[in-house]
Amino acid sequence: MSGLSRRGLLRGAVYGAGAAVSASALSGCGSIAGSVRSADEIEYWTLFTGPDGELMKTMTRNVEKRVPGLKVRTTVLDWGPPYYTKLAMASAGGRSPDVAIMHLTRLAGYAPGGLLDPWDLDLLAEFGLKQEDLNKTLVKRSLYQGDPYAIPLDTHPFVVFFDRDVMDKAGLLTGDGRLVPFESPKHALELLDKLRKDGGKLGPVFGHANDAAMGWRMFWTLFSQTGATFDLTGKRAEIDEDTAVEVVRFMADLTRDSRTMDVQTAIAAFANGRSPMIFSGEWDMATYKSTLKDKLGGSPIPTFYDRPAGASDSHALVLPHQDNPDPERRRRAHRFVAELVKSGLTWATAGHIPAYTPAVSSPQYAKLRPQSEYAGAAKQLVLDPPVWFAGSGSDFQTRMCQALDPALGGSSSARSAVRTMVSQINTLLAQPNPA
Amino acid sequence: MASVSTPARRAAAGSRRAGFRRAAATDRLRSGGAGWLFATPFLVFFTLFLIVPIGIGLWMSFTNASLTGHGDSTLVGLDNYTEAFGDSQVWQTLGNTVWFTVLTTVPLVLVALAMALLVYTGMPGQWLWRLAFFASHLLPVAVVYQIWSMLFQPDRGMLNGLLKIFGIDGIGWLTDEKYAMWSIALVTLWWTVGFNFLLYLAALQAIPDHLYEAAALDGAGAWRRLWSVTLPQLRRTTGLIAVLQVMASLKVFDQIYLLTKGGPNGATRPILEYIYDTGFTNYRLGYASAVSYVFFGLIIILSIAQLKIFSRRED
Repeated sequence: MSGLSRRGLLRGAVYGAGAAVSASALSGCGSIAGSVRSADEIEYWTLFTGPDGELMKTMTRNVEKRVPGLKVRTTVLDWGPPYYTKLAMASAGGRSPDVAIMHLTRLAGYAPGGLLDPWDLDLLAEFGLKQEDLNKTLVKRSLYQGDPYAIPLDTHPFVVFFDRDVMDKAGLLTGDGRLVPFESPKHALELLDKLRKDGGKLGPVFGHANDAAMGWRMFWTLFSQTGATFDLTGKRAEIDEDTAVEVVRFMADLTRDSRTMDVQTAIAAFANGRSPMIFSGEWDMATYKSTLKDKLGGSPIPTFYDRPAGASDSHALVLPHQDNPDPERRRRAHRFVAELVKSGLTWATAGHIPAYTPAVSSPQYAKLRPQSEYAGAAKQLVLDPPVWFAGSGSDFQTRMCQALDPALGGSSSARSAVRTMVSQINTLLAQPNPA
Repeated sequence: MASVSTPARRAAAGSRRAGFRRAAATDRLRSGGAGWLFATPFLVFFTLFLIVPIGIGLWMSFTNASLTGHGDSTLVGLDNYTEAFGDSQVWQTLGNTVWFTVLTTVPLVLVALAMALLVYTGMPGQWLWRLAFFASHLLPVAVVYQIWSMLFQPDRGMLNGLLKIFGIDGIGWLTDEKYAMWSIALVTLWWTVGFNFLLYLAALQAIPDHLYEAAALDGAGAWRRLWSVTLPQLRRTTGLIAVLQVMASLKVFDQIYLLTKGGPNGATRPILEYIYDTGFTNYRLGYASAVSYVFFGLIIILSIAQLKIFSRRED
């Protein structure tokens, strides 16, 4: 994510002030806002850049070709906190785009405040997209007070990539090329030590230093595997701290080769063959594929504790709130989204697991490797706790990562990391939900 | 003398009087009206983009305004301010900000002075030193971030590479709580010292030669001239640089946001980042405004105090 300058911040403050003050004044002006837009183009905000952005452009163009008369104007904004700030302000100001991409985990901060409008499932079904064809965990999470506020496009879990050859030699692959199951954290550490010794290389690597999400993804994955209490519904957090400490200790042991690695260094270590295994987001699949080619293997995060689980999120499509939406534009927005979600197979080439289940179970998807190897991650996905301050690109994730980092780097204890995490969560819980 | 006052003369006199009146009016216009006219574009922008937002921000700090547009009409009185004074994050980030200011202001004054003295006291190739010392100041913060994040990289970075040559284990420049703020201060010194250097150099060049001549005649050596002529003559500039530097350091945001995002474990998070996160990531505009007004107040108090201290020295 690119940085924000002080000047940019000031500009944002001025806009912010303007938006807050004018929100009520503009609330009756939906039709005016609508009239300055092109009548036949629907406006679509995305946060995809790089290869994802190119692919989304292709998919949008294909939808336009398939559906005569449907025109989409795409605005690409840099992902992260600034994207969500802009989206919230556009929705609050009543001049929002017709459709936008949003991480499903951010829904809890948007839907209750009236920043989103619900989808019309009948209309989507009319265009061939039925709820039962979408990943059930994601659909469940897209509801607010029983209404669907998001249509998931994919899920993008935290997974494991490995060098097939090295892992096979170390005896860490089963006959059909899958990772051998780990019986316990201790068992995993023993096997990975053997990998270090036999291969004469680093063990698994993990880029977390100075990152705003990776440490949390790993923690949330492993903690969720224990099934211990992590309840943020009350005024204060109820968290099984002893289990959390154990998990942080295991994280530090597991990734002791990457104590100070940032994401780029870890990616380089794996892609250059210095390490045969990496805990990573599937979104970096293309980078690994380009250097490791057919040697690249993938897997959902192994089950180290009691139950399978892997931290994940989902790029979902939302209708930012409009005061007086034009029914014809809304209809076209539904058409566009139905077509987009059904193009899941194309989207899967970027590494993401489509939320559209017919795409995942198709023979073409089975041929996509290593995508089809880690597709099982969609069945064990855990999303951030559904509280307003959590989710991708949130201050919460940054704070959790910053609390974890000294423990992973070895400069402080697991217990003090957990203590900081809990106190940060309690600080956030004490704040009123601004939505 | 009525006969003299022909209609032509009267007309001439009248037109002269009108001419004077016009000239007077032009003068008035010149001294006031035209000035205002030319200043109008600036005043409009100044009012629109500074005075009005400052006013709105102050008003918002007494409400529970949210970036999402909800709750913006509810006045909460001094609740936000009460919360701010009891908020450990405010104190922690304020502490970080003050610590950064201390770490940067002293070297940014002393190093700039040393650099300026070196260049001024006759190092050969002055243009090269001036360029070299000032060049880093011309870089945008994003470039500074790219350079230093590579140098600080724990595994492949040049700094740890150099340490390794001397058999010293690499350190987590930006990832260890003990070193992170020092690293940021180092980057800031490297990046911004050029501006202070330039101010000092200009001030040095403005010291009249006859003072040095008189001192030399009195038998003052180089060190005596430095202590008794140069440094006292630079006092006003030092005051200015110190005040500007304290204000600039208190407002630190860019390089920290890019290099560490406030980490590790909040060790480098400045108060401006907390305000940004509160207002723009967590959408609490009202509370963020209150915290920024508390901070605004602090900057004003510190600046006035500093100005007072330095002006007293002037007396």
